[in-house]
Amino acid sequence: MKKYSQISGEISEFSELPFWKKADVVDLVYVGYGLLIVALVVVSYILGSFHFLPRDPQDIDLQLMMAPPGTAGRLLGTDFMGRDMLSRLIVGIQAYFLPGLLAIVVALCFGTGLGVLAGYRGEKFETVITYFTNLVDSFPRLVLILLVIAAFKPDIYYIMLVIGLTNVPVVASLIKGKIQFLKQKNFIEADIALGLPTRTIILKHILWHHCRSLLIIQATLGMAEAILMETSLSYLGFGVQEPTPSWGNMVQSGANYFMQGKFWPSTAPALAILFTILGFHLLGDGLNHILEGKRST
Amino acid sequence: MTTTPILKIEDLRIYFYSHSKQAFIRSVDGVSLEIAKGETLGVVGESGSGKTITALSILGLISARPGVISGKVGFQSDRIQKNLLQDLGDFVKLTARDGKIMEVSKDVAGWERNVERVMSRVRGREIAMTFQNPKSSFNPFTPVGKQITEAIRLHTSTKTEQEAEERALAWLDRVKIDSPRLRFDNYPYGLSGGMCQRAMIAMALASEPSFLIADEPTTGLDATIQSKIVDLLVELKCEIGITTMLISHDISIISRLSDSVAVMYGGTVFEYGPAKDILSTRFESKHPYTAALLASIPSTKNIKEKGYLQAIEGDVLDTINIPEGCRFYSRCNRVTEKVREKCERQEPDLRQTEAGHNVRCWLYFD
Repeated sequence: MKKYSQISGEISEFSELPFWKKADVVDLVYVGYGLLIVALVVVSYILGSFHFLPRDPQDIDLQLMMAPPGTAGRLLGTDFMGRDMLSRLIVGIQAYFLPGLLAIVVALCFGTGLGVLAGYRGEKFETVITYFTNLVDSFPRLVLILLVIAAFKPDIYYIMLVIGLTNVPVVASLIKGKIQFLKQKNFIEADIALGLPTRTIILKHILWHHCRSLLIIQATLGMAEAILMETSLSYLGFGVQEPTPSWGNMVQSGANYFMQGKFWPSTAPALAILFTILGFHLLGDGLNHILEGKRST
Repeated sequence: MTTTPILKIEDLRIYFYSHSKQAFIRSVDGVSLEIAKGETLGVVGESGSGKTITALSILGLISARPGVISGKVGFQSDRIQKNLLQDLGDFVKLTARDGKIMEVSKDVAGWERNVERVMSRVRGREIAMTFQNPKSSFNPFTPVGKQITEAIRLHTSTKTEQEAEERALAWLDRVKIDSPRLRFDNYPYGLSGGMCQRAMIAMALASEPSFLIADEPTTGLDATIQSKIVDLLVELKCEIGITTMLISHDISIISRLSDSVAVMYGGTVFEYGPAKDILSTRFESKHPYTAALLASIPSTKNIKEKGYLQAIEGDVLDTINIPEGCRFYSRCNRVTEKVREKCERQEPDLRQTEAGHNVRCWLYFD
């Protein structure tokens, strides 16, 4: 008997390993890289909002136009008006950071709410919400955004609101599916029989225990998408307008000089976009494997 | 049955409306039961006889959309006294045409609000329930101990988390889970079926309810574990003296635990009385169904004599098209010519044949 409990003790200790020890190395690298990018973005955003920059991003220096990277005092060179690239890159984060967060918050809050209604209350709610999500899904997103821009003004917050709203169906259907899956196991019924208030069941037993990793992953993917949308719209001239820097309009304005061999004004922001979005995606992917895979054992 | 009953079910009817067949599925059709304080009532019957539905209705868990309930479930404990099915009829509207029910509309939100109101302070605190499938009745992503702790925190007056955890541990120990401290942090998938059942019982009892519904506590377990769980229930019954409603299709488990027994078939009670009368093989006035159930207990004696496992012929009653006469008529093997006509035409009612013993069979009525 004692031997048995010793063995089972070891097994249970093994299964209580912290999750990072059980995860794949690849996933850890993904998550590490992603967290590094997130940290960089957040720190840069804070630095930028306190104007703690190498140089004033709006400072035009006609003596130093198109200076290559590495020029004294200008680490990433200057653009066609002699403005410091590094400072503009850092300030460019402000173009998508808060709007991106807005998009995520809108998508997650409304998506979770609708998902819970459809999954937990079911029937009528589910029908209505399914139709609503189909309706939203059937609109091409870019057209919707251009409509909003035409109707109001090319403000990045409006655009992000639209992106957030168009992401609602994705989150809602994920949450709905999860809850419907959970309802087949009868622990929710057991919770009700135990007398737990509905609030506790939904918030704690369903959302916190079963949906939090899903929501985190959706948040990282949502941020990546928001960045991509912001930069592409700014590139097309619908998003953030000059002279306010955004990675999108920096690529656009630098692209004219690309063929002259002056690659840095467009390449630097383009690479920034690439690595940032890659970071968010890998973070989401790695978390997905680690958090979701952990439970399937 | 001298004390006032803690739970009194009167003429409980639970019908589910089937849209495709435009008819009611009469899952429970006029059940009346009483459970006195400290007593254990065993409810036995084949699958589909309405045992679990009866139990679920006590806790207001019949939320399936087309469900219609009537009757009365009076609950009376030291702390609380109410009819658990209060006002539920107000939320259902039936549309009938040509004597056929065409539509059942139900104000689901109102129904659920009402259930919520009636059930507050009853679920978990007064009446606890263990479910058929203990494994899926635990939240799979939370350690078992945490879930028991949550129940304790919710229903008892423990002040701190620590105190509640100590109690949860004590309960795990009390239901004889070995090395409870290790199991406390285990997730449900790390426990075996028997252990899960024990933990489930611990969770139900930890909030100190006055009434326990144990729904098929031994299904899915092997014979050794089954008997251990039954031992545990017997022990807890002696120690705590909790009033229990035990539901099982296994008459041998019922026989070890119950003070009184209700035999259910096709949504009605066929026989109801003290356990020692119903379960003894000698007792005279016994419903043919109960006799058949008793005869189909696998035992070496039965197998040696007959060479096969006895079963009851035929299928369980189709609760949509309930026959005119006795519900068991088509499967009954004791119909005599004297009563055949009555059995076919008229449904018998539950009548008292001796003190405390009720049978629903024409054989015993003159």
